[in-house]
Amino acid sequence: MLGDDEGETVSFTERMLKIDRRIIFLVIGFCTLLPLLYPVGLPIKISQEVRGVYDHIESLPEGSAFLLSLDFDPASKPELHPQSISLLRHAFRKNLRVIALTLWVSGTGMADQVITQVAREMGKENGKDYVFLGWSPGGTAVIINMGQDLYGAFPADYNGKPTKELPVLHGITNLRDVNYAVSLGAGRPGVEEWYVFGKDKYKFEMGGGCTGVMAPGLYPLLRSGQINGLIGGLRGAAEYETLMGQRGRAIAGMDAQSATHLAIIVLVIMCNLFYFSSRSRARSQGQAGA
Amino acid sequence: MLKTSSFSPTQPRRAETRLFPYFILGSSKSSTYPSGEELPGSSGWAGENCYASGFESPAALLDSRFEHPALWKISVLLLVIVLSQSWLPVFAQTDAEKTPLSPPQDVRVFDTPSDGGGSLTVLWSPASYDSAATSYQVLLSEGTAVSDPSAMKVVAEFPANQRYVRESKWPWWTRPAAGEQHQFTLKNGKGGELKNGNAYSVTVAAVSNGDRAIATPVQAIPEPNWINWNQMNNLLLALLFSGIVFYAISIARKREIFLRRIPGLDAVDEAIGRATELGKPILYMTGAHDMSDPSTIAAAVILGRVAKRTAAYETDLLVPHREPITMAVCQEITKQAYLEAGKPDLYKEDSNFFITSDQFSYTAAVDGIMLRKKPAANFFMGQYFAEALLLTETGASTGAIQIAGTDSDHQLPFFVTTCDYTLIGEELYAASAYLSREPVQVGTLRGQDIGKALILVVLGVGTILATLGVLLDAQWPKLFLDFFRDVK
Amino acid sequence: MIFLRRQIPLLITLITGLVFAGQYYVPHPASEQMLTSVTKWLQIIGGFALVLGVSSLFHVHAVKIRRKEAGWGYSFVLYVGMLGTIAVGLWSNGKEAVDGAMTAFGWIYNFMMVPLQSTMFAILAFFIASAAYRSFRARSREAAVLLIAAVIVMMGRVPLGEYLIPLSGDLSQWILNVLNASVRRAILIGVSLGTVALSIKIIFGMERSYLGGGKE
Repeated sequence: MLGDDEGETVSFTERMLKIDRRIIFLVIGFCTLLPLLYPVGLPIKISQEVRGVYDHIESLPEGSAFLLSLDFDPASKPELHPQSISLLRHAFRKNLRVIALTLWVSGTGMADQVITQVAREMGKENGKDYVFLGWSPGGTAVIINMGQDLYGAFPADYNGKPTKELPVLHGITNLRDVNYAVSLGAGRPGVEEWYVFGKDKYKFEMGGGCTGVMAPGLYPLLRSGQINGLIGGLRGAAEYETLMGQRGRAIAGMDAQSATHLAIIVLVIMCNLFYFSSRSRARSQGQAGA
Repeated sequence: MLKTSSFSPTQPRRAETRLFPYFILGSSKSSTYPSGEELPGSSGWAGENCYASGFESPAALLDSRFEHPALWKISVLLLVIVLSQSWLPVFAQTDAEKTPLSPPQDVRVFDTPSDGGGSLTVLWSPASYDSAATSYQVLLSEGTAVSDPSAMKVVAEFPANQRYVRESKWPWWTRPAAGEQHQFTLKNGKGGELKNGNAYSVTVAAVSNGDRAIATPVQAIPEPNWINWNQMNNLLLALLFSGIVFYAISIARKREIFLRRIPGLDAVDEAIGRATELGKPILYMTGAHDMSDPSTIAAAVILGRVAKRTAAYETDLLVPHREPITMAVCQEITKQAYLEAGKPDLYKEDSNFFITSDQFSYTAAVDGIMLRKKPAANFFMGQYFAEALLLTETGASTGAIQIAGTDSDHQLPFFVTTCDYTLIGEELYAASAYLSREPVQVGTLRGQDIGKALILVVLGVGTILATLGVLLDAQWPKLFLDFFRDVK
Repeated sequence: MIFLRRQIPLLITLITGLVFAGQYYVPHPASEQMLTSVTKWLQIIGGFALVLGVSSLFHVHAVKIRRKEAGWGYSFVLYVGMLGTIAVGLWSNGKEAVDGAMTAFGWIYNFMMVPLQSTMFAILAFFIASAAYRSFRARSREAAVLLIAAVIVMMGRVPLGEYLIPLSGDLSQWILNVLNASVRRAILIGVSLGTVALSIKIIFGMERSYLGGGKE
């Protein structure tokens, strides 16, 4: 009967609108897993934001002081770890003096691992080509202290060696002597704090990297020239890997991200179709009742 | 016997150098060769083709070789013209090179103003030879006596068409010279050591094609300054805004100021009422940051109001914390609220409890509380990061009414999509004023609105001026735009 | 007592607030030295706050275990985990690796903390999908605009989207650089003015809630 068919259609629409979240989770799970197992490898277009960081590092002469602040914890590892690997490879390829640190205590071990791993791969020596200063409590207070006296803020590096004796820090007394700084931030302290308490006061050039969620919020800093480049999320990391000519986890992850985005778009379109269908059904039932 | 001159006195000849195509031909003639007289066999331009001595001139020889004598004469003429053209630039270059390179003019050196010391600023006038081919060197030596300027240390070198006052970031009220003047700032550590209180001699040299012209050295002493005049715009704006806020508070103390209805705050009572009816607790979170963050302070203020309502309705209140200091403050606030509501005996010490500082550990714990205790109302006030969606989505799955208030603009999209009401940005700060209606809170809100109105006016005027400048291709709007840029 | 609890903290706030607001405009090395000293004190106090946090955590869960409240077993697990990690960390001198070899502390960090934190963050992807399915409905014109912008940006930010609809990349860049940046700036201006106003109230003692309790 017509009434029964209509009832079935309505219940189907409403059932779809109230679908169990676990089915959606399952769809997303497959869309993430399958491209990782069977990658496609679509081309990645480079954006001006990422090119800004890349071009500036390319322009630095050999021996310039490059400060990299790895301000993230393991939760943000999937997005910011590939960024840090690409930046370190680029800096070591250009023979820059890399000064690394972290303002997040839970990210200290991970930061040490990534620097040691990339330095070993590029044949760089700790103390001579790079230094990992480790973590110091205080967040923005650390930035201010570094701006006044780097050796006062970090009397020893992460391995306990006195920073004043390290050849890599020769001629660098505070943040004013840094040629370029990049903060890879997953929250606070992060890129904004490095700008407000670092660049604004001590006048060094600065770029930023962040998670995909935070990237739109940093566009005002980028558009006004307060940072000269921004690597946003996994997409930004993939663009940097493309510029470096090296395929890493970020490029591999873009296929999964593509599939997931497409799945969410399809789900959103479907839910809107069901929504409008149920709304028009309710309207026609209301008219019929009247 | 008298030595006879090779020149006949009756026909004197002057040796003349003529830059004239014929001069080669003319000079091939004997100096005693008569002019104007026709000689037998003479022909050509000169009218003569042999010397009086009987030798044939080169012109005559060439005439005999060519069928059309004019042809060779034209060819020679052209050859001489081409060769003379190639010589002329050489002569010109030689002339130019011979002009000496002048040293930079009007060199002034002084202590860099508005800094912490260890810096000197050098200014000098532009020159006609300013180009990429010429360069400037900045020379430094310690002390006032300079025996040999050329022996001074070169601390910087750059092309002569760079380093102008207009390129540096001086605001117009501290700019030391006109924009077209050259400027260089010497800083301690970069190329040289500059100690406060010590006198230094500084000069500028122009270098071009191996030549160097050095200006007279000038002395200056770097000193630290007590006031940063470059930031005076910032101080004036801060004082102006503070004055506006104080003025607005004084007005609020005298009369009622209208506040627009914020739907999220109206829902607070509704949410607390719903929780009371259902007999379920209220979950209130103050965010990720400590008490130094304005959003946490605003969250604590709103907690006081919410706690007063829950005390009145005798509803359970759960306030999990990430910061121990925030927890201590919120405990006091809650206790005071219960006291003011006249229900001190209902106050529970452990309504405010500390979970952990770690982001996701806290999130997991709160999610567990939501799933177990199923609060009827969830309040998310303060700063949030990635945990925002994890908290709100879990809360939505339990069917709770959710009210959020945050200035974390990167989490706003998640709050807006998953919460029933969201206080965006400074609405959170306005919330404490709206709830309390205290003159201080309301006056501050009015002061902020006046500040925003001023900024809006400047934005509008600046946009119109910039557009006019582009449409009319005029320069005068730039004066105002530069003023706005410096004053900001 | 009230003088100690109220007036002295307010006086300290007033003096230090004005001094360090003014410090920004004084470039003299003496001023910078003062700022450096204070920031070092901040770092020291931050360390104490950590101790306060840990001791508070111990106290809360000790009470739960003693009273055998619901879920006290988890409190016991927390105690074991915390004490175990502290002991191992002290034994390894706080280092995750020594000369390339992973320490026990490093093992806990790499095989417990990193996977657990990554898992929590990974849940976001699933929650975003379920929240989008539930909330991205064109109930009104504003919601429809939000929906269309979201679809464009989602397409434009991934290679597959740019491959299927090449225009989506440029459109999403325009949305981010023009629309998004301008709106973020507006929110930033509002929030910054609010922060300045609140800071002025705190410095001049008009806002005292951070001290705890109401007006006296």
